[in-house]
Amino acid sequence: MFTANTTLMLVATFLPVLGALVLLLVPKDQRRVFEIGSLLIMIASLLLSLPFWFGYDRASDAVQWAGAWSWIPALGVKFSVGMDGISLLLWLLTTFIGPIAIACSFSAILERHKEYYIWMLVLQTAMLGVFITQDMFLFYLFWEVMLVPMYFLIAIWGGPQKLYAAIKLFLYTLAGSVLMLVALLAIYFLQHQTTGVYDFSLASFQAMAPVIAQQSKSYQTLMALAFFVGFAIKVPMFPFHTWLPDAHVQAPTAGSVILAAILLKMGTYGFVRFLLPIMPTATKELLPWFIGLSLIGIIYGALVAMIQKDMKKLVAYSSVSHLGLCMLGLFALNPYGIKGGLFQMINHGISTSGLFLAVGIVYERRHTRMIADFGGLSKSMPIFATIFMIMTMSSIGLPLLNGFIGEGVILMGSFQAFPWAAVVATLGIILGAAYMLWMFQRVMFGPITEVNEKMEDLNLREILYFAPLVVAAFWIGLYPGPIMAVMDAPVRKLVEQVNPGFHAAQDLAVKQAIAAKIGMQGMAAPAAHHNAAPAGHEAAPAGHEGHAAPHAEPAHGAPAHGGGHQ
Amino acid sequence: MTGFSQGLLDALLRDTHLILPQLFLMTVATLMLWPGDLMFSRAEKHKWAPITLLVLAITAVLVTRTTEGEGFSRMFRMDGLTRGFQMLCVLGCAGAVALSVRLLDSLKQQTVEYYALILFSLSGMLFLCGASDLISIYFSVELMAICIYILVAYLRDRATSVEAGMKYFLLGAFSSGILVYGISLLYGAAGGTTTNLADLNQALALTPKSSSLLVFSGVLMVLVGMGFKVAAVPFHMWSPDAYEGAPTPITTLMATAPKAAGLAAILRVFGTGFHGVSSDWVLPLSYIAGASMILGNIAAVNQQSMKRLLAYSSIAHVGYMLLGVLSGDPQAGAQAVWLYMAIYIVMNTGAFAVVIYLQGQGEGERIEDFKGLGRKRPVLAFAMMVFLLSLAGIPPLVGFFGKFYLFKLAIEQGYVTLTVLALLTSAVSAYYYLGVVSQMYFREPEGEAIPMGAVSVFIVTLACVLVLVGTAFGPWLLDWAGKIFLA
Repeated sequence: MFTANTTLMLVATFLPVLGALVLLLVPKDQRRVFEIGSLLIMIASLLLSLPFWFGYDRASDAVQWAGAWSWIPALGVKFSVGMDGISLLLWLLTTFIGPIAIACSFSAILERHKEYYIWMLVLQTAMLGVFITQDMFLFYLFWEVMLVPMYFLIAIWGGPQKLYAAIKLFLYTLAGSVLMLVALLAIYFLQHQTTGVYDFSLASFQAMAPVIAQQSKSYQTLMALAFFVGFAIKVPMFPFHTWLPDAHVQAPTAGSVILAAILLKMGTYGFVRFLLPIMPTATKELLPWFIGLSLIGIIYGALVAMIQKDMKKLVAYSSVSHLGLCMLGLFALNPYGIKGGLFQMINHGISTSGLFLAVGIVYERRHTRMIADFGGLSKSMPIFATIFMIMTMSSIGLPLLNGFIGEGVILMGSFQAFPWAAVVATLGIILGAAYMLWMFQRVMFGPITEVNEKMEDLNLREILYFAPLVVAAFWIGLYPGPIMAVMDAPVRKLVEQVNPGFHAAQDLAVKQAIAAKIGMQGMAAPAAHHNAAPAGHEAAPAGHEGHAAPHAEPAHGAPAHGGGHQ
Repeated sequence: MTGFSQGLLDALLRDTHLILPQLFLMTVATLMLWPGDLMFSRAEKHKWAPITLLVLAITAVLVTRTTEGEGFSRMFRMDGLTRGFQMLCVLGCAGAVALSVRLLDSLKQQTVEYYALILFSLSGMLFLCGASDLISIYFSVELMAICIYILVAYLRDRATSVEAGMKYFLLGAFSSGILVYGISLLYGAAGGTTTNLADLNQALALTPKSSSLLVFSGVLMVLVGMGFKVAAVPFHMWSPDAYEGAPTPITTLMATAPKAAGLAAILRVFGTGFHGVSSDWVLPLSYIAGASMILGNIAAVNQQSMKRLLAYSSIAHVGYMLLGVLSGDPQAGAQAVWLYMAIYIVMNTGAFAVVIYLQGQGEGERIEDFKGLGRKRPVLAFAMMVFLLSLAGIPPLVGFFGKFYLFKLAIEQGYVTLTVLALLTSAVSAYYYLGVVSQMYFREPEGEAIPMGAVSVFIVTLACVLVLVGTAFGPWLLDWAGKIFLA
């Protein structure tokens, strides 16, 4: 097996686009060559990405497999790559979804095969690129490049309103990202003023956090808002979500899958990677607004999903709701919230991909997506019904499946930070169960019509591309530990960047709680109970039997109170 | 008397080397008109195109070889800025000439005058790039513009062409009047001693407070006059009509070379000449820049004609480039404008090459004519898409790099609002550029494809490759831009 290193990472990332260049030379009537060829390329990229899962050093919060090559020295731009746990997970999710998106297109794409598969491959490289870059200029490049293939995928192979949906997606995202570009440049110059060098590296931007915190309040707010709008459009958060239902409904199945699984995650990734570490102060300042918008997104998305008559639109609005939940977790700014948010990003990628694939299956057979046109499908399509059920359950967070873990951890985190927000979010989760189950019931059960009776069950190819998603849903649901472990160190670092002193305070609380338990009940400091709730945190050094509370307190007491209770 | 003429002769001999490219162009163009005109029969006039290209190549070599210095009573100055922008003018003209061959052939309108006028106009542009005195600026502007008036009306049996030429001429003459009046006011305000830009900068700084209105109106009028020449809002009215009516290669020319020369002059006038009185022009110029971005991009949205669309988009691009002029650091501003202009010439010429190709088949004027191009001629359509996305500033195409560098400077200089405006309007521009892309790729084609001429293929391919990989060569681009300096 290959060992994980920078070269292999670049190969896995750029393999799809290189493959696309080769496919460019094939005559366009060779449909099979494009289908099988692009599938093989995606699978190769997936296989090349696997060593990184095993080779990742879970104890370190540093950027691993880092590599940098000088590119435009005059501007401080480097071709700089590398991954930490957060980007690794999303990078792997992308290579994982890639083959599935190709495999589900074989019967759905009936014209212009050559262009289609080439655009898919280009899109794949652009998305993979976003997650590995460690340079803001390069990041912006990949971030924007993504738009062009997506535009074509929707506008050529989409539904009746495809042109409108495609241009809306393009313009919304472009408008958001140019604002982000202004903010990037402003920080870039601020950095030049303070340090005297021009540097676009992500690390140097993150190092600017304390300097930005000293700027005027309006400066900070504007910067944070520019970033926020850029990422919020991509997520999308209410009220920037209006492009999403259009894009999802009009896109071909594979387009929807990629949109839901990866593209939306770019927004959340942007928050985690840029807004939170670079502008923690401003973020905390604006937090009530961000939380409010997340909550509105959760409830609004769920309510709108409930009344949809079109299955695809329903799933699209459910994305608004689920992503709202992810954002709520991230904005809790504590380890549980952020981990839960990240975890839920992966889950949403798996379960919503599955749902869009399922919608695609019935659409290919019946050429309608209206819930009212279906009923009793479980009789004619038992295998499909089973898989659809697993995906539905995964989406609403049934225990044993992946969604449960993510939602649970997010709620823990947000309850720690904002109890009332967690309560509202729970309401959204209940609504989510309601609309998903209601749809499932209307489509799968009840009387079956003659047309629906003739619908064929899944064929082998379809079962094969659903299988990885089902396996992943169960695996993550039953054994989430490994994924959590990958996030541990980087999230700890991120929380430290956003909330300096958070961990120190927690560790202290844990020590005090332990000290209180082992025979010093009377002398334990009253503060210990206050923070005792998250005592199960893995990172906390729990084995300090010999330490007595009076000793621990003077050692850690002073820095602990600063940002301890958020 | 002899002493004077002797001195004049000495000065001429001493300074001639500064304007060798211009002298060469003028001599060749004159010889082309006569006796060159007799060289080829009527049917062979197209042979003038390769000859003109050869002349342009020689001019380019001469431009790189000309020594630096100042001469002709400090009327003309050869420095990095001059050389850089002169190269761009030659490049723009070469593109236009190369694209002319087939179109003029198909219209049976080949004449030697066409090419000679382009060369005369180019010599005006080369003068303008280096003009360091308000008087020489005025002369060069006129030399450049009068040739273009004629070229716009070149298809004299077509009403649109004549109308465009007439409109352009009347408004151009009017703006020249304003320009010259502004010059006279400044001359008066500076005490009637000088029109040299560097001297004027010092003289204007010393003018008494009572004449501040005089200085202000003078500066403003020069600004208006120059604004006309580069078609900045609100002095852009002529440009969509002139673009639409002119033969398309001339439209290509107008969108590139004269704009480069005009911007060089604006950079020099406002960078060195009126730098001391910047409070008089910074605000009006920033309004002009902002208005150009907004109006150019918004008016382009609803155009049915491809040439009008590109005309409005070029207004918007001038708006972006004026951000570089506004820069408090004229040096960095000139570099950013040069870089942007160089990139703009490549992508714009490429886009026009595609339009001209379609015109060879009697279409291409309307955006509808691009329908189904992606099916009929996939490579051509791909190239057009690359040009359009690059004009919209989508990375990693080189158009993005130009914008990035320009806007980076603007933010550094504190023009944050204008930059945000520029970026948002460039997002608007993506809308109409993508409208053309959607015609090419999402509509069914009509009719059969006709093969392109080798020259157009060459230009399209070259420009497309440059635009595609340009960003990767960012360091080289910056190196070249670094050679632009304002004295």
